[in-house]
Amino acid sequence: MLSNLGNIILFSSVFLSLTLIFFSFKEINSTGEIISKKIYKISLIQSTLILFCFFTLISAFIISDFSLIAVYQNSHSAKPLFYKISGTWGNHEGSLMLWVIILTVFSFLFLIINKSHPKNYRLYTLIFQNILILGFLFFILFNSNPFSAVKPLPAEGLGLNPILQDPALAIHPPLLYLGFVGSSIYFSAAMASLITNYSNKFFALSIKNWVLISWSFQTFGILVGSIWAYYELGWGGFWFWDPVENASLLPWFAMTALFHSLLVLEKRNLLYFWVIILCLITFILSVMGTFLVRSGILNSVHTFASDPSRGLYILFFLSILIFSSIFLIFKKYKKNDYSINSNSKETFVLINNWFMMFYLLTVLIGTLYPIFTDALSNNKISVGPPFYNAVIFPIVILFLFFMAIGPKTKWIKNNFNNLKSFIVILFFSIVINLLITFFFKSYTILSNLIIISSLFLIISSLLDLKQILIRGKFDLARVISHLSFGFLIFFIGLNHNFSIEKDFNIKVGETKSFEDYQIELKNLEIKDHQNYKAIIGNLSINDLVNGEIKTLKPEIRIYDKPKTLTYEAAIKTNFLKDIYITMSNIDRSEFYNIKFQKKPLMIWIWISVICLAFGGFLRTFQNAKNS
Amino acid sequence: MKIKIFFITFLLISNLCFAMNDVVDQNQIHKNLRCLVCQGQSISDSNSDFAQTIKLVVKDLIAQGKSEDEIYSFMAEKYGEWIVYKPQLNSQNLILWIFPYITLIVGGYVIFYLVRKKTKKV
Repeated sequence: MLSNLGNIILFSSVFLSLTLIFFSFKEINSTGEIISKKIYKISLIQSTLILFCFFTLISAFIISDFSLIAVYQNSHSAKPLFYKISGTWGNHEGSLMLWVIILTVFSFLFLIINKSHPKNYRLYTLIFQNILILGFLFFILFNSNPFSAVKPLPAEGLGLNPILQDPALAIHPPLLYLGFVGSSIYFSAAMASLITNYSNKFFALSIKNWVLISWSFQTFGILVGSIWAYYELGWGGFWFWDPVENASLLPWFAMTALFHSLLVLEKRNLLYFWVIILCLITFILSVMGTFLVRSGILNSVHTFASDPSRGLYILFFLSILIFSSIFLIFKKYKKNDYSINSNSKETFVLINNWFMMFYLLTVLIGTLYPIFTDALSNNKISVGPPFYNAVIFPIVILFLFFMAIGPKTKWIKNNFNNLKSFIVILFFSIVINLLITFFFKSYTILSNLIIISSLFLIISSLLDLKQILIRGKFDLARVISHLSFGFLIFFIGLNHNFSIEKDFNIKVGETKSFEDYQIELKNLEIKDHQNYKAIIGNLSINDLVNGEIKTLKPEIRIYDKPKTLTYEAAIKTNFLKDIYITMSNIDRSEFYNIKFQKKPLMIWIWISVICLAFGGFLRTFQNAKNS
Repeated sequence: MKIKIFFITFLLISNLCFAMNDVVDQNQIHKNLRCLVCQGQSISDSNSDFAQTIKLVVKDLIAQGKSEDEIYSFMAEKYGEWIVYKPQLNSQNLILWIFPYITLIVGGYVIFYLVRKKTKKV
C-alpha cells in the first residue's frame, strides 16, 4: 500500500514540475511585473507533496513494511526505533529523497523570499531548479526507487550496516545535504542571471544568504562526519583525506571563495563573471562528489553506497550540468573593466579566492589522479594524507597571515598605517610559540611556522574583538569566523604534535607500562543487547604524573543482522585531552590488541569548527535583519 | 623599526633552531601504508594478519637503519604503489605533484595582472 502511495506521489511530483516549467515560460512572455498566485500555489503543493512522500517512506521504515525495497535492504524489525527512522536517509534511495526535498523546498523559499527582484530572473531560477528536480525525480523513478515493491513479501529485512547505527550519522546526511544540495539554488540563480542579464549588486544580494546558509550547514555536516569518524572508525583521527571526505570539502572551498567574492560584487559591482563561475562550480562539485561516492569508482570508507549503474546516470547528469554552464557562460561573457587597486580590500578578497582555488584544485587532482593512472596505465596509486599535508600545509602559513591582514584593509584604496601593530602581533606570536616549545616539547620547522601564523591570526582577531566591544564597529560575524579558524589550525597543530600513541598486546590480568602511563586489563564482560552482543574490556589507566586512575571500557561488538564485527572506542574527554582506547581480538590467541592514544585539546578542535559555522549563521541573521 | 625587525628575525631563527628534526617514527610509517586486505584502512588502524606482518617488516627495516623514504620505496617495489599513501615522485606522478604549484603560480599571476592594469592607468 505504502509502495503504491509513494509511487503515485513521485509521479505527481514529476507532473507538477513540468507544470511549473510550463507556466513559468508562459509568464516570462507575458507583460506585468508580478508572478501570478498560481505559480506560488503549485510550488507550495510541490514542496508539501515531496515532504509527504518522505513521511510515507519514514512510516514504511517505522512499521517495517518490507514490501518496499529500501526498507527490506536497510532495515530490520529488531532495530531500535531511532535507527529505523534515521535509516530512511542512511541509504542511497532514501538519501535521494532528501536531495529532492531540499531542491523543492529551497526552490519554493527562494520564490517567496526574493519578491523584490525582477520577475524573469525569479522565473528562470524556478525553471532551472525544476529541471534539476526533474533530473533527480527521474533518477529515483527509473534507477533508485525506494518504493519499488519486493515480491514475494520477505519476512525480515537485511538490516542496516552497524557503523551507520549512530546518532551522529543520523544527523550527518541532512546537515551536509542542506549544504551541498542547498548550493543548487544559486546554481539555478546564476544560470537565470546569465540569461536575464541580471548582473548587478542586487543579484549578489539575492543569493548572499543562501550561500552563507549552505556554507554554515556544510561546515556543520563536515564536522559531524569527522566526529563520527573519530569515535566510530577507531583510528583516533578525524580527517583522513579520504575521497569521500574530500568530496565534501571541495564544494566547501568553492562556497568560501564565493561568499568572499560576493562582497566585492555587492560593494563594488566587480567580479560578476567570477561569482557566476563559483556559483556554478559549487553545485557541479557537489554533484561530482555524489558521483564519486555513489558510483564506487573510488576506494573509501563510504563504499557501502556504491553501484556502477547509479554512477552512469549521475555522470550523464553531471555532463549536462557542465556543458550547459560552459555554454551559457561563453555565450554571455562580456569583458569587464576591472579597476582594482593593488592595496585594497578587493585585492585581499582575490587573494582569499586564490588560496581557495589552490586548495580546491589540489584536493581535486589528488582525489581524481588515481582514477586516471588506473585507467591510463593500469597502475593503481594511493593519494593519501602525506600528499595533502606536504602540499597544503606550507601554503596555509601564508594564507593565515593574509587572513589576519585582509579584513583590516579598506575598500577601493587602502594605506597601511597599522604596520607597526602587525609587527607587535608577530612578535607576540613568536614569543608564545617559543614558550610552548620551551615548556613542553619541540616540533618540526613547519609546525613552528604554522603555530606562529595561527597565533598571528588569533591575536589580531582578538584585537578586533576588543575594538568591537569598545566601539561597536567591525563585523562580529567575520571576527568570530576568522578567530575560530585561527584557533582551529592552532589546536590541530598542537594536537598533532602532542599526541601520544601506543600499540600493544595484552591478556586479562596483565599490566603494561610506558611513558607516564600504566595500563591494566582487569577483566572482560559479555553483554547481550537488542541487536548485538558486546565483549567489553575493563581497562584501568593509571596516569603516573598526577596519580589519577581512570577506567575505560572499549567494546568489540558482534552484530547479527548483517553479520559484522565492529570495534567501539572508549573515550574519556576533558578540556585538556582525550584518552582514546580501542580493543580488538587477535585470532587464535588469548591476547587482545590495545591501542592507546592521548589526544590533547581534541574538544577544542570541535568547538572551533562550531564557532566557525556559527559565524556564518550570525551573518545570515544580521543580513536578514538589515534588509 | 629596523631594530625591531632585526629582533624578530633573531627570535624566529632561534625558535627554528630549536625545532626538532624528523626522526624515523614507526607509527607515522604505519599510518602512511595502506592495509591491502582492508577497506580504506591504514596498517596502523588494522589488526589483520597482513597488517601485523607489515608492522614486523617495518620494524626490521628501521633496525637496519633505513630512512622513512627508503622504507616507502621498498614497500612500493614489493607490493605495488597502491600500498603507499604518499605517491612517489616519478614520471607518472609528476603532474600530480606539480599541478598544485602551477595553479598557485597562475592564480598569483592573474591577480597580479588584474591589479597592475589599474595601477598603470592612475
